[in-house]
Amino acid sequence: MRTSSPSHLKALKRKLREDALYKGLFTLSAFVSSMMIIIIIIFITLKGIRPFLPNYEFGQQNLWAFLTGMTWRQDQAVYGVAFIVINTLISGFSALLIAFPISVLTALFIVKIAPPLLSKSIETVVEILASIPSVVYGVFAAGTIVKLVQNLAMLGQIQTAGGNSLLAVILLLAIMIFPTITSLSMTAIKAVDKDLELASLALGATPTQTNFKVVLSSAKSGIFAGAILGLGRAFGEATAVGMVAGNKMFGPSFNPFDITRTLTTTLLAGLKETTGLDYDIRFSVGIVLMGVILVSNLAINAFKNRIGTIK
Amino acid sequence: MKKRNTQDNLLKALVYAASSLSLLVLVALLSFMLQKGWGSLSLDLFTRPYWSEPISIEYPSIYPGEFESPTDLPEGAVFSEAYGFALIDSTNPKKEAVLELVYLDPNSPLNHGTNIQAGHEGEAATVVVGYWVDKIGYMNTKGVVRSSGRIVGQNAQKTIQALDQSVSLENAYVQTKGGGIVGSLLATLYLIFVSLLLALPIGISTAIYLNEYAKRNMLTSWIRSSIELLTGVPSIVFGLMGVLVLFPITALFSAQGTSILLGGLTLSVILLPIIIRTTEESLKVVPQSFRDASLSLGANQSQTLFKIVIPSAIPGILTATLLGIGRIIGESAALIYTMGTFVSDDPKLLKGATSLAVQIWSIMSGDQPNFALASAISLVILLIVLILNFSVKLLAKRFRKVW
Repeated sequence: MRTSSPSHLKALKRKLREDALYKGLFTLSAFVSSMMIIIIIIFITLKGIRPFLPNYEFGQQNLWAFLTGMTWRQDQAVYGVAFIVINTLISGFSALLIAFPISVLTALFIVKIAPPLLSKSIETVVEILASIPSVVYGVFAAGTIVKLVQNLAMLGQIQTAGGNSLLAVILLLAIMIFPTITSLSMTAIKAVDKDLELASLALGATPTQTNFKVVLSSAKSGIFAGAILGLGRAFGEATAVGMVAGNKMFGPSFNPFDITRTLTTTLLAGLKETTGLDYDIRFSVGIVLMGVILVSNLAINAFKNRIGTIK
Repeated sequence: MKKRNTQDNLLKALVYAASSLSLLVLVALLSFMLQKGWGSLSLDLFTRPYWSEPISIEYPSIYPGEFESPTDLPEGAVFSEAYGFALIDSTNPKKEAVLELVYLDPNSPLNHGTNIQAGHEGEAATVVVGYWVDKIGYMNTKGVVRSSGRIVGQNAQKTIQALDQSVSLENAYVQTKGGGIVGSLLATLYLIFVSLLLALPIGISTAIYLNEYAKRNMLTSWIRSSIELLTGVPSIVFGLMGVLVLFPITALFSAQGTSILLGGLTLSVILLPIIIRTTEESLKVVPQSFRDASLSLGANQSQTLFKIVIPSAIPGILTATLLGIGRIIGESAALIYTMGTFVSDDPKLLKGATSLAVQIWSIMSGDQPNFALASAISLVILLIVLILNFSVKLLAKRFRKVW
């Protein structure tokens, strides 16, 4: 009766204990990984609302004044975030407006229209653009886009702060979110049912008509997912935008040649002390940033459902 | 029919135009970086500190000798026949005039002095080509010690002229060549090490849990979506999280304020979703029959995992690592909050430092952005990122096994 010998049983028990131990470890890791987002939200929220509570040690701030204020002056401890939110929305959505059509057309080109070799090379170009870190884009923008804007302003006899401007931010962001939207659109277009295309062609539509009217509208969901991700990147982009924004102290900035200030550049600007109101209020700006991203995601989703059934 | 054709061609032209824009941007970016940064790119850049260090040297009254000027001196350089070195008018990154040492005879007395800089007293002072010469003290024919050099407003021509008529060499004040990236390079390596050390085990374990253990239920899909949500969080928010949540952990190791450790911990959170997703993809393609065969041979579940499943998923884990390194090298916003922006030439794990990307931010955000160095570092980063991307592709091709 070998199976019931004590040593064999012992080995079996050890193996089972081992299994349980590893299962426990893996489960714990998964738990930790999934808790991170909750930890981020809870901790930043708790820290960010502190300046507005009565027992705040550096003097309670007025929440209403913070949310509706049109001036941000570190030196005078005046913190109003409303115009910064407007600036962030303007620069983000304008960048999306420029990048979205170009991205979708490029994705269509790569997946459906281009001959194999050309398709492969443009795809590689998009991949390389996607992997370029944001500071590198920042240096590029500070050296070229800013000059471009400056020249443009000189043509129109407009004053600029050396080219640092809303327009420079928009162009920079459009370049930066282009690869994100393109690669998600490509995935969506690739996933379109071949039968749909064939049906369209069989009904006498040209390949181009099929691409624009059947393929793109079928891939709509994925394409808009790309737009959402791109917009999130535009709102959250910090260092590159910080190099060309100029950090205006009041606003909002509607003139494309005027300097601007976004939520992220505010977070980066003048970071010196690690205590005090000026530091704590940055976490409040962090909450606002996350709120802006969340709300605009919902807005794009609603927009997508609306244009859902045109074709 | 004709109308349809023109419409089609118009749309097609639009598509071609849009797609060529991406190429245009890439070419513009690369040529800008090459144009601005190529000149600063040299092997020396990788081993040189960022801050230039002053050295004060005293000479034991060295009398002038007779030196021959080399034939390959750069244009504008002035040679001192009395002491065997050459200076050229140049500017430092702050655009201030400096005198740069461009040639040093092996027998030049310039290298025979003693260091009297506080902290290095009595050491033999070495002078190397590339140093900036602020001042050289000499004795004139009346027996009075005088100063020459940039400190008294002289250019290379005037400085050498004064020296060649001197009686002896008395002292010098020079600055080592700065503007290097050795500190940031080291700090980046530290960062890669720390963040992968944490993110790889946790990320791989999570992927194993999701693919091997998790049941298809609400809890699992909740775990998945909360990990997916991390991808959409802006990196600067990770920075805020780092100083808030992870700083107490680094404080246990007695780190004060920003540190490489804190930056590494923060980055490990940023890397989690990338590592989890890539690893899980590679676990998914390991055929179920492998697991069944192992289990039916009497191996238990953990043996099956460690001896069969994970080894088959190694290429995927390697890909995750490479993608992670790419992300670490490019990250800036989160690190500005957690590691600070002060460039350190001697990075320590528990002290603040800059990675390559943050050094770019640091030198670009001052009053006088240093495009040359920023572009040179950008080129280095671009090269590394391109190599990583290429390796990932190669890896995917090489290990795309058909089971």
